[in-house]
Amino acid sequence: LNSTRALQGLWFRLVGWAFVFLALASARPARSQPAPHLVVPPVLAMPAPAPDRSGELPVVFRRELPISLSDLRAIQQQVETLVPKISPAVVAVELDSGSADGIVASGSGVVVSADGLVLTAGHVCESTNRSVRFEFPDGKVAHGKTLGLDEDADTGLMKITGSGPWPYAPLANLREASLGEWVLALGHPGGFDSKRSLVVRLGRVVSVAPGVLQTDCPISPGDSGGPLFDIQGRVIGIHSAISSSMAENFHVPITEFYDTWQELAGVPVPATPAYCGARAVNDAGGCRLSAIDKDSPAAKAGLKVDDIVLKIEDRAIVAAAAFERWMAEASPGQTLKLQIKRGGKLRIVKLKLE
Amino acid sequence: MKPRLFHSVFLLTAALWCGTQTAQAQDDSAPMLPRSRFRSGEEILAAFSPVSAAATNSIVEVNVDGDAVALGTVVDAEGLVLTKASEIKPGKLTCWLATGREVPAVQLGVDKDEDMALLRVQAEGLKPVRWASGQVVIGQWAITPALAETPQAVGIISALPRRIQPGRAFIGVRWSPELSVPRVEGLMPGLGAEEAGIKPGDVIVAVNNELVTTVMRVSEIVQAMRAGQTVHLKLERGGEPFEVNVKLMVPGREAYSLRRNSRLAGDTSQRAEGFEQVIEHDTVLPPWLCGGPVMNLDGEAMGINIARASRVATYALPADLVQQILARLKPASTSQ
Repeated sequence: LNSTRALQGLWFRLVGWAFVFLALASARPARSQPAPHLVVPPVLAMPAPAPDRSGELPVVFRRELPISLSDLRAIQQQVETLVPKISPAVVAVELDSGSADGIVASGSGVVVSADGLVLTAGHVCESTNRSVRFEFPDGKVAHGKTLGLDEDADTGLMKITGSGPWPYAPLANLREASLGEWVLALGHPGGFDSKRSLVVRLGRVVSVAPGVLQTDCPISPGDSGGPLFDIQGRVIGIHSAISSSMAENFHVPITEFYDTWQELAGVPVPATPAYCGARAVNDAGGCRLSAIDKDSPAAKAGLKVDDIVLKIEDRAIVAAAAFERWMAEASPGQTLKLQIKRGGKLRIVKLKLE
Repeated sequence: MKPRLFHSVFLLTAALWCGTQTAQAQDDSAPMLPRSRFRSGEEILAAFSPVSAAATNSIVEVNVDGDAVALGTVVDAEGLVLTKASEIKPGKLTCWLATGREVPAVQLGVDKDEDMALLRVQAEGLKPVRWASGQVVIGQWAITPALAETPQAVGIISALPRRIQPGRAFIGVRWSPELSVPRVEGLMPGLGAEEAGIKPGDVIVAVNNELVTTVMRVSEIVQAMRAGQTVHLKLERGGEPFEVNVKLMVPGREAYSLRRNSRLAGDTSQRAEGFEQVIEHDTVLPPWLCGGPVMNLDGEAMGINIARASRVATYALPADLVQQILARLKPASTSQ
């Protein structure tokens, strides 16, 4: 009960702060732009996470604390190397409010695929199908639309209309961020400033709660929707909210994007859902099957409890929610190809849904 | 115009409301990293002590009438110290040293453009900082040492050096267009005049103790000041005189009140705009600890902290600019 109440408190905070962040409205006249015609493919897949290379990092990143100047130099070296690699994918976003006075709301975002999918915060999108102007750190400008958002999770998705390829950042795989992990916050506090460009901040993960990462990377209005990178340069969160405390900077974990992908990408749900007969939970190894109904399609396909589902139709499954979404979106009679791991061995299973 | 202003009022309300929520939700919930292991927690700062311990004799703590107002950067062995000018209010000037002694100091000169003051401290054993040469790099550690063995706080260089425009400041009133007398017709929401309780119909009779009779004169006085400074006004309402202090603000896109005044930004320097060039770093530094050096891992001063600018930014004047300022201030002051 206690934890439920704490969670509600968090939501209050997040939802409340979302309003604060939206605030970066300016009276600059909206730039006239051609209304881009956006062709949304029927299913937009969330890009697969990049592999974990933490083993290759300097030893200081496996320590709880830096203990010497050479540790500090190693951190500095890593950050200096990383910043030019991850910066090109970080965008300032400006959205037309649609009102006659030309008020423009601004925030940040990060491109995560070569074809121009942009992750941002839900409160930056505010609604679907809004025109967005993207500004890259090198000054290049692109146009696009908001695709979808989840207000509760504060996740949002946009798409650049131009053909690309766009510079993009890799995503972190599904795992709990660890306390004390070094992270980099990038974004455009105060809105896009051509003389300054984006602003980089270094901090540590100071708290991990369901749906919320807290860091001591100072962020501020205008950063909303910008990326939080792990020290390997993979996106692990999106800036969402702050409080008056400098140590209270809240980010939506990347896992929330996987979990709300259906709302974000606007994937239609079929009228009659297919029956699978397996349930999945999140596990250290990924998506683990926790229950199989007797005589169900899952049982007939030979799936067993504790199987780890790695791929469905060659798409990576990193969370139970992704597995459930596939099942929810599949049609009765459809056969899906699953790659699973059982006792350290990989297997391919054909699952015919009913 | 209207919707935006409404917006900021609404936001402020939302901000305050949320602050309350935060205070309530702060207790148990998720596991927290111990504060001592936050980026500027003492266990992290300890790793920087080889740099900061070597710098303590290059730093003074500037006091006015016994209150700490700034740090100072020692720039020569004879006791010349640079600090942030706008923090040095009139009063008895002393400096605390790392040795634990408090010594008298005198102000020799001020560079108003860059907000630097040159002091002379009566003390021996002071060690001038070594200046860093070359460009800073985004991602470099930015260490702010003080008088202790461990640094006051640390951060990283977070944006490339650039010029910071002076912000044009406003009291926040609209004048009656047909009158030359400074009679308030309306208020700009969220700005200083409204906060100070000025109302339409009030007439300004004096600005900073200078009697004024025209709108033009009021504007001239205000335009010579900067955002963040406070202007003293004498007014009349229905024949009754009263006085208020009004903080000058910049209206417009950055929602000034959100950035500067609110609890979101934390404490920021009164004078935080109008610099020829600054290095931006993300160190969370109280405004009264500006004026000291910001160092790299080699213990060289990359610059002098000149302003706490926002929740995300502390500005430092880069080393080469500081040395130019020092050269300008020094001849006038040493050839007395």
